[in-house]
Amino acid sequence: MKRGIFLPLVTVLGFVFLYAPILSLIVFSFNESRLVTVWGGFSTRWYGQLFRDPQILNAAWISLRVAVVSASIAVVLGTLVAFVLMRFGRFRSRALLTGMATAPLVMPEVITGLSLLLLFVSMEQLLGWPAGRGETTIIIAHITFCLAYVAVVVQSRLAGMDQSVEEAAMDLGARPVRVFFDITLPIIAPALVAGWLLAFTLSLDDLVIASFVTGPGASTLPMVIFSKVRLGVSPDVNALATIIIGIVALGVGIAMWQMRRAIRRDRE
Amino acid sequence: MKKLAILSLSASVLALPALAQQQVVNVYNWSDYIAEDTIAKFEAETGIRVVYDVYDSNEVLEARLLAGSSGYDVVVPTSQYLARQIAAGVYQPLNKDLLPNLANMDEELMQAAAAYDPGNEHSVIYMWGTTGIGYNVDAVRERLGEDAPTDSWSMIFDPANAEKLADCGITMLDAPPDIMQTAMAYLGLDPLSQEESDLEQAAALLEQIRPYIRYIHSSQYITDLANGEVCVSIGYSGDVFIAADRAESAGTGVEIDYSVPVEGAMQWFDMMAIPADAPNPEAAHAFINFIMKPEITADITNYVYYANANAASMELVEEEIRNDPAIFPTPEVQAKLFPTITRDARAERTLTRLWTRVRTGQ
Amino acid sequence: MTGARRVTESALGRLGLSGRALVVAVPLVWLLVFFLIPFLVVAKISLSEVTIARPPYLPLLEWDGLRATLNLNFENYAYLWNDPLYGNAYLFSVRVAFVSATLALLIGFPMAYYIARSPEPRRTLLLTAVILPFWTSFLLRVYAWQGFLRSNGVINNTLISLGIIDTPIVMLQTDFAVYIGIVYTYLPFMILPLYANLVKLDDSLLEASADLGGRPVATFFYVTLPLSMPGIIAGFMLVFVPAIGEFVIPELLGGPNTLMIGRVLWNEFFANRDWPVASAVAIAMLVVLVVPIMALRSAQARAEEKR
Repeated sequence: MKRGIFLPLVTVLGFVFLYAPILSLIVFSFNESRLVTVWGGFSTRWYGQLFRDPQILNAAWISLRVAVVSASIAVVLGTLVAFVLMRFGRFRSRALLTGMATAPLVMPEVITGLSLLLLFVSMEQLLGWPAGRGETTIIIAHITFCLAYVAVVVQSRLAGMDQSVEEAAMDLGARPVRVFFDITLPIIAPALVAGWLLAFTLSLDDLVIASFVTGPGASTLPMVIFSKVRLGVSPDVNALATIIIGIVALGVGIAMWQMRRAIRRDRE
Repeated sequence: MKKLAILSLSASVLALPALAQQQVVNVYNWSDYIAEDTIAKFEAETGIRVVYDVYDSNEVLEARLLAGSSGYDVVVPTSQYLARQIAAGVYQPLNKDLLPNLANMDEELMQAAAAYDPGNEHSVIYMWGTTGIGYNVDAVRERLGEDAPTDSWSMIFDPANAEKLADCGITMLDAPPDIMQTAMAYLGLDPLSQEESDLEQAAALLEQIRPYIRYIHSSQYITDLANGEVCVSIGYSGDVFIAADRAESAGTGVEIDYSVPVEGAMQWFDMMAIPADAPNPEAAHAFINFIMKPEITADITNYVYYANANAASMELVEEEIRNDPAIFPTPEVQAKLFPTITRDARAERTLTRLWTRVRTGQ
Repeated sequence: MTGARRVTESALGRLGLSGRALVVAVPLVWLLVFFLIPFLVVAKISLSEVTIARPPYLPLLEWDGLRATLNLNFENYAYLWNDPLYGNAYLFSVRVAFVSATLALLIGFPMAYYIARSPEPRRTLLLTAVILPFWTSFLLRVYAWQGFLRSNGVINNTLISLGIIDTPIVMLQTDFAVYIGIVYTYLPFMILPLYANLVKLDDSLLEASADLGGRPVATFFYVTLPLSMPGIIAGFMLVFVPAIGEFVIPELLGGPNTLMIGRVLWNEFFANRDWPVASAVAIAMLVVLVVPIMALRSAQARAEEKR
């Protein structure tokens, strides 16, 4: 497989598939015309409009906050679930935990959203918490369904991992917690990164669940976008997407450059 | 992302001290459905801060209202949803002492709206419109000739016409009551009939023309009409005007027109109402009363091209809009408009099931 | 960092065995409160009767002052069984999800493999590049696909101007568009677990196979594929399972004939306002799907314990 043409070819085609729509929305963010399907000449007016629209900017900021917080907590909880299921053998609540970590994947979004909404309403009536709904309730909902995704990813990594190292450390008298942090964690780190990215993406993209569990003044970006697409995608939303891609790409570029420098330094 | 962060941070810091003493009203309205300066004017006049959220479907709004404690003070559901929600006890009766501007409202229209909200106890009309035909003038003329029946439902419901229009694209709203009742009106049946045999006839008619329908969707047609991607849509009045406006400003050479057919059409109202568990009912009344000011309502109509029900505002509405019979129908046409009715769960299910059959053939 | 770690370690260590219980308890309690209880609420609604009220269903337990009566209503499930619409929608959804997951695997595996075998920093670059498109809103991407697939869209216009076709191919509002949309949206869900798995694939095994004269194809089928099975299962599951309940993609890209279970559920909730039947649809689907998936996961865990 070393010099095969097949792999690079599929990868390139895959990236074309992934980036074609992105390219089109970048192009149309510079479109003079309001209609996203007609080219009306080059213009940056939508960028100006975007920065005058506190609604979109505010929603973007809320979405970002929600996604970072819920992805981070979901990774912790999801990893615990995966670890417990793969390493703890039999324990009393095992079947229950397996079921509860699987079912959120199957639950249609509408049901997840509605059932959590009902839960939050009755919790508020009985416990007084959460008082009203908003960012907190969105975060809780997102953690719950992202957790299941993280668990699947981490579990697959744990399944593919050589346990003998862990066992060796254990035999040498290391405590389980120590083994986990010093040995298991570094080995499954790629899965944690993958899981975090997945959870972050899921949270950032969620429309249905957030629409149910949100409250006044806490509209996420997908909600604002969806409320506008009735009239077709508004070009200022394309402009926002372009800016996000630009910033992330820049960040990645800088990180790459530093990494390459570090590697070169190592060689010298 | 940093820039965004700083921007919104500073915004929230500015808002914080005000939050402590200020009254708040949480408004949940359709997107793009208010004049640009309405909220600023309200805040300046009353000192009440507005938290303004928008939605694009009655469904999610309804789920949140039915689950309880939505946190909103003013919501603007469409009449047929409102009727169900009133029955479910979602709204509080309006305190009419706090709404002196009710005197500005058009009595006839308020009476029509009472079909949904008996005695106008719970709601006030925000804007209203009809479910009619939006069409591409040139494309239709090309296929059906100069005397195309653009003022009749036969343009779509007559299979001979539908077949000729199929290649340029016919679309329908994904709204079972609107379409089924319209089909019954075209067949000369009572559009409000709940008889299963009448509904069956309507479904049979729709199944006949179904092969010529490009798609069934409630908002996609707006941009597609403007682009010339489709040429005839059963659509909501205001949305078709937006399509017409978009087509004109984009210079696509597409001319879109809207007609309320002679057989009659469904009339609907978007109504302002206050949830029973609204946290700030007083501020909510102040907001509704403010919207009913003639100049404020006129501003909104001039901006969104929807008809209002505020008699006192009419002289402030731009002449071009006021005299457009597609927006403000003539009295003869108005007499032919029909509402929709609140169905019990079983009738609702029959309707939806028939509609699914029309949609998917299953 | 190490200080904090040591503190946690010693605290947990002092707790001894109960540390183990704690590790189980944290996610367990979270899921009990935020998943199981809401789920039971849905199960409860599925057994109640629809009414016009807030909330729109009758309580299961009635108390008339003297005794309580329990009204369990299984009609909602009977209803699902009797109308073929629901079964057909299930089957169609499963088919769409299966085809999409298979397509995603065929595209995703080579990509994940190539990325995992690339040297740093290219590897990180490619991995980020897989995710990057997904940080723009999902709706924007689906709408962008509409722009490509419509009859006067980019693809048709290109094909016509190249003289390959005369009349536009109808792609939007077909099942084809739904497949494209789902594969596109869920591709990273396939690539990420595969990548996490393949990146740790032991090079020496591949080399050993090559040294022993194994052709690349043989090495792939006898070494790479079995070793990456956990990743394949995970990726397939992450695409297949959520795709079954997908609502937005078929709504925006599919035609009126595309009737998936997500749409049926939406109809029950919002067109019929029949929360009990809607809940029954969801519960039935959950039971049909969760049991085999749980079996799969336990098998995975058991196989692991035996190793």
